[in-house]
Amino acid sequence: MSLLEVEDIHSYYGESHILQGISLEVEPGECVALIGRNGVGKTTTLRSILQLTPPREGTVRYRGEDVTGRPTHEVARMGVGWVPEERRMFSHLTVDENIRIATPPGNSVEAAFERAYSAFPELESHRGREAGDLSGGQQQMVAIARGLVGDNDLLLVDEPSEGLAPQIVAAVAEALKTVAEESTVLLVEQNFPLAMDVADRFYLLDHGTVVESGSTENVTRDDEMIRRYLSA
Amino acid sequence: MLVLYPFIYGFLTSISLSLLGVSLGELFTVFLPRVRTMVVVLYVGLFAMSFDFVSGYTGYLSFGHAMFYGIGAYFVVLVGTGKIPGLPAETPFMLIIVLAGVLAFLAALAVGAVSFRLTGVYFAMVTLGFAEVAHVFIRNWSYVGSNPRDGVGVVGRDGFAVGIPGIDALQFRLGRLAGDSFENVLGTGIDLGAAEVSFYAVGAVVLVCYFAMQRIIHSPFGRVMVAIRENEERAEAVGYNTFWYKLGAFGISGFFAAIGGALFAGYRRSVAPENTFDLFVTADALLAAIIGGFGTLAGALYGHLFHEFLQGIFTTESSGLARFLRDTLSEGILSAGVGEFTVLEFINVFIDGRAELYLGVIFVAFVLFVPRGILGSLRDRLGGPLAETIPERLRRYRR
Amino acid sequence: MTGFELTATALPLFAPVEITLDALSKAALYIVIASGLSLIFGLMGVLNFAHGSLTMLGAYLGGAVMVALVSSATGQGMRLLLFFVAVAVVFAALTAFGAGVERVLIRPIYDREPLFQILLTFGLVLVLDEAATIVVQLAGLQPQTEWQDAIGTAPEFLAARYDIIGTSTRGLYLFEALVGLLVVTAIFLFLTRTRYGLYIRAGSEDPEMTQALGIDIRQAFTVVFGVGSGLAGLAGVMLMWDPRFGASVPLGVETLLVGFIVVIIGGLGSFKGTVVAGVLVGFVDAVMSWLFINYIDFPGLPELVMFLVLVTVLVARPQGLFGVEEVGGH
Repeated sequence: MSLLEVEDIHSYYGESHILQGISLEVEPGECVALIGRNGVGKTTTLRSILQLTPPREGTVRYRGEDVTGRPTHEVARMGVGWVPEERRMFSHLTVDENIRIATPPGNSVEAAFERAYSAFPELESHRGREAGDLSGGQQQMVAIARGLVGDNDLLLVDEPSEGLAPQIVAAVAEALKTVAEESTVLLVEQNFPLAMDVADRFYLLDHGTVVESGSTENVTRDDEMIRRYLSA
Repeated sequence: MLVLYPFIYGFLTSISLSLLGVSLGELFTVFLPRVRTMVVVLYVGLFAMSFDFVSGYTGYLSFGHAMFYGIGAYFVVLVGTGKIPGLPAETPFMLIIVLAGVLAFLAALAVGAVSFRLTGVYFAMVTLGFAEVAHVFIRNWSYVGSNPRDGVGVVGRDGFAVGIPGIDALQFRLGRLAGDSFENVLGTGIDLGAAEVSFYAVGAVVLVCYFAMQRIIHSPFGRVMVAIRENEERAEAVGYNTFWYKLGAFGISGFFAAIGGALFAGYRRSVAPENTFDLFVTADALLAAIIGGFGTLAGALYGHLFHEFLQGIFTTESSGLARFLRDTLSEGILSAGVGEFTVLEFINVFIDGRAELYLGVIFVAFVLFVPRGILGSLRDRLGGPLAETIPERLRRYRR
Repeated sequence: MTGFELTATALPLFAPVEITLDALSKAALYIVIASGLSLIFGLMGVLNFAHGSLTMLGAYLGGAVMVALVSSATGQGMRLLLFFVAVAVVFAALTAFGAGVERVLIRPIYDREPLFQILLTFGLVLVLDEAATIVVQLAGLQPQTEWQDAIGTAPEFLAARYDIIGTSTRGLYLFEALVGLLVVTAIFLFLTRTRYGLYIRAGSEDPEMTQALGIDIRQAFTVVFGVGSGLAGLAGVMLMWDPRFGASVPLGVETLLVGFIVVIIGGLGSFKGTVVAGVLVGFVDAVMSWLFINYIDFPGLPELVMFLVLVTVLVARPQGLFGVEEVGGH
């Protein structure tokens, strides 16, 4: 059984029809990348899985259970984590508090700190600072750490490298690889080499539909299909 | 329909037929607003329409609208008591009205110029803030009268007259006591009491104002107002400087609000802070506009008619339902009930003077379930303004 | 113009002390009045017009508890203790009431324009004020004037005046300052030390992200609307003993306007801002009251200046002293 099955979903922002029948599957342990140009519906796909933008048609199944239309917090509690675009720090909360709030009630907060700061030792010295004061790369680490401590089996990671300096992108890529080893990841990434490097499989999106999918092995930017849909 | 109201009212309430022992005339007296109440409907209705003009059409909630109504009302009384330098107490009412409107127009431009830098809740708050400054000021400004908190009245001056200044035959004085009344009008055998004269005189002014606002709304200017409500960013993107349109709409709205206030003061001949500058006066306009239909203009007047209709039924006065029930029901029914709580007690507690409670409940229900209001929902149903769709429908039925 | 003449009086030497004492009690009251409003707006973006009416209900309910439990034989210390009983009863009752209102009336309209939330809560003002009027009249009281019996249940040592550094003040005013301090501390601890407080602070910043972390934000809305209403009621209990306020139906609008002034000056949604603005407005009120009593013959002076400060802040710095720079977003 797939961990996540998305079947022919249609999602809208107001009246604009963004997702026009997306279907995809993610197996346990995989890292799957969604690629495609800006505005083809990658972020909306993640939002629809989390029911932040509930699909009007189609179904989203997680662990075989239909979660379409369920409240977002319930989907999240089933083990779906979100590392959103632009990181969405609680900027007036401290780093510690950002981790604390991501820890499910009942779990040890100390263990969560341990997990987060062993994954990102750099954050340890900033624990008491407001997250809004951190650098972009550090904020991205906090965002990923929030996903890590949430007991999630599936992480939806959106544009982790966006707006970061090249050397920091490398660090984030390393962190992502570590995360991908421990849990299942559905990754949206504009940085094509990074996506191909981290992910096992990919789905190529255009105009709200999947136009191509397959293994990331031996896929290069020069591939005719890829070039057609990625170049602006 | 409204034009003939005094006659309809006069006819229905004088019916001496009885049904099941209840006089129909009396029943109508209870349930129909009196003619002098209809005068109130007209001027408060105008005020409510002016509120709807800016808030219903641009989407900016003018929470301090009572300020402009108050300016109009106080201006009339201050002129009438000779307290405005350069304007004698006997200045023609029509001139006072226009001056009051202009004054409120300028005040609205001043308030709007700073307030329209904000939107949403902030706009509502800043306009409320300005109105409260004016409210506190008027309550304590001893120039108005010896006891500004209790307001002030006009004494000595003739009734304020609607009509053409200078031609006595075309001037109709307002007021329950100071107003004109005519017997056997133009030999038709119809008598018009003071209330009826005031009804027509005030109604004429309100009608002119309504048509003026209606014209503006259907002009290109009005279309920009609606565009601001629907999507201000887009209106700006298309190249409109929305600030000036909003300011203009606010000024015009202030002008007509003041005319409503001026008619109120002209009819009542006295003003007080709590019936002019008060937050609850704005609330009256808000209630009327929401119940009647936000963004429908005429709806606001009907909304206030509904308000006065309820108040008329639940009034403690002799024409009220409570008095009627107490007089009509037999002693046996009145004293029936559970223990201390008799029917009479029920009438006293839940009917006598309780219009505001039900109005509040109805208002909440409208916000929740009928957000488009009476007129708005009707228009949705019929697919356009009633004046256009109803004749069309009737034609269809006739075939 | 008449009404603005200065009356010549020598500057009292102890004016600063007098003003400060007055300001502290007013600041405490204003902060407590505004705190619930601030919490609710911060998390939910709903400006609750019914907040003042809840304070009014709290004043009556608190007064009812006191009048029912206090007799002339009740000891002074006991009366003080009963005050806290009234606080607990009112807080619990209004928290439950507020939570109910949120669930039944406000929840259905979250996805509508913010305009409707203003309209709805404003409609509640009409209903609550009128309902209170009916009940108060049934109880044989005059709804427009302060409930003197409730004021009379205050212990003597609070009603009495004390000399402090050349001026005198009521014990009650010091007591109010103390209760205000307690309330602020409690809210602060709730926000920073409890899990729910964390949810509220996070939800105020980014409700969507908060949900995506598995937190039931709707439940948090209900809780916060409840607690905010409870705080409104608590403010009412503080006011029921105060001869400057007292339980009456018009108390609702009076405190609502004060609450608006404070939360807007402080920055909508910032609790820290509300506290600072409460102190500021308390001082403005105290200074202006002092000027009115001693120099400027215009009874509306404190109120007038408070509204002028509100308008000035809105125009010059709409986000308030501590608000976020997203102006008029709601």
